[in-house]
Amino acid sequence: MMPAACFCPCLIAAMFAHLFTGPLLAPKYLHWMWQGFLLTLWLTALTVVFSTLLGMLLAAARSSEIGLLRRPAAAITALFRNTPLLVQLLFWYFGVPSLFPDGMMDWLNADHVLSLAGPFAMHWPSFEFLAALCGLVCYSTTYISEEVRSGMRGVAPAQALAGSALGMTRWQVLRYITLPQAVRLSLPSLLGQYMNALKNTSLTMGIGLAELSYTARQVESETFLAFQAFGVATLLYIAAIAVIESAGYVHLRTCRARQGKA
Amino acid sequence: MMDFRILLDNLPYLLWGNYPDGALGGAALTVLLSAGSAILSAVLGLALGILLAEGRGSWHKLLLLALGFLRAIPVLMLIFWTYFLLPIAFGIDVPGVLSVMAALSLIGGAYLAHSVAAGIAGIGEGQWQAGMSLGLSRLAVLRHVILPQALQIMLPSFVNQWVTLIKDSSLAYIVGVGELSFVAAQVNSRLMVYPAEVFLFVGILYFLLCSGLEQCAMWLGRFFQPARIAARRMSVNRQRSPSFSYHHEADPHRPHG
Repeated sequence: MMPAACFCPCLIAAMFAHLFTGPLLAPKYLHWMWQGFLLTLWLTALTVVFSTLLGMLLAAARSSEIGLLRRPAAAITALFRNTPLLVQLLFWYFGVPSLFPDGMMDWLNADHVLSLAGPFAMHWPSFEFLAALCGLVCYSTTYISEEVRSGMRGVAPAQALAGSALGMTRWQVLRYITLPQAVRLSLPSLLGQYMNALKNTSLTMGIGLAELSYTARQVESETFLAFQAFGVATLLYIAAIAVIESAGYVHLRTCRARQGKA
Repeated sequence: MMDFRILLDNLPYLLWGNYPDGALGGAALTVLLSAGSAILSAVLGLALGILLAEGRGSWHKLLLLALGFLRAIPVLMLIFWTYFLLPIAFGIDVPGVLSVMAALSLIGGAYLAHSVAAGIAGIGEGQWQAGMSLGLSRLAVLRHVILPQALQIMLPSFVNQWVTLIKDSSLAYIVGVGELSFVAAQVNSRLMVYPAEVFLFVGILYFLLCSGLEQCAMWLGRFFQPARIAARRMSVNRQRSPSFSYHHEADPHRPHG
């Protein structure tokens, strides 16, 4: 028991000691990893936005009274939660293109430029990025929907009844009364899911997306500086997680302050 | 559109690799890897959780820091750390399976430690006082009074963590350990034209493993509910002790005398 308890702090201490005393990584490699980090952040941001929206819809479907909505939603949730994300990513990356009609892959791989106002133009992302985003969104959606659902249980049923008494449709009650409060109630656990989304982006290196873990591995195999490469990547992950965590902390404090005033 | 017959030829390889002739792999290795890290993570989680719940002072802060570190980094990063650094640290060749198992147990243990600590904190102070006033030592109270109740509460989080472990064992693919996902990718690149079928099938295998574990645990949880244990004891006593067999007049098997 004690060796295990001592192992982690020792590992962490050794890692940081080596990070600052060993040979440094050349700027070129740091630049690679920074690019990887930006891709990780971008992928996380998109995953968070899409999976929150879809997660609310899935939560609504699961608490619906229509069996035709509720049962498939429950099946989808069970399916995505009980299979590894890596296998899902491999499926989206290798499996789905084989089911596409001919020509679709060529279109997806070709570069489409969406020109916005003036000099801004958006380039079509690589297929790796699309497959990664698709896999991450599907996976996170099921987790977020569960958090939203437990938030919905915290909203008093009388609120929904009051809404229908005002003549709102079932959808309006969900959209304007239940869901906004459910999301606010489940915000702490949602933030936990967003941290998981950030950590899960590391798996996309399995399908060759050049995010932070991928670049760390690449730098390690080029320089043989395992300590430094993984140390920098680990620190960047911890920094990103710390930002999300402190956002939750700030939110909690403003909530408390507001309640104090009211 | 999909053709699953092709999978039949590769089924043994997917399930247990080259086992009798070569190394164990595939689903069997996934099960072994997950079982090993499940046991290790439970032991580690229990030990660290007790330390977390009982510890005070600077050691406690250090433990919190270490657990926070393990929970903040992606599992894959920790696998890289153990995979590349365990051999350097110990100067011996550590097999990939063991380094992945070490990473998974550390992460699982870090998550479980917090649930164990919460479970212990959830047992009322009165239970501690009652145990101590009976003259039990603090450790004995923990062992005989607190943990049996806390473990009951913690069972769902243990099961969740174990399901997560099964899923995370797929990350061994990235460092080239021949478990189910790795073998699936191998079969996929050998067959070339059936990727959807291969990965769907492998997904179903994982699904069966994970939901099977969940169902088993739910059944076990119901079986060991205090109320049910009491009910079983009652019925056993009723059959054994003559004072309870108030219906023996109607028992046809009883010899008439």
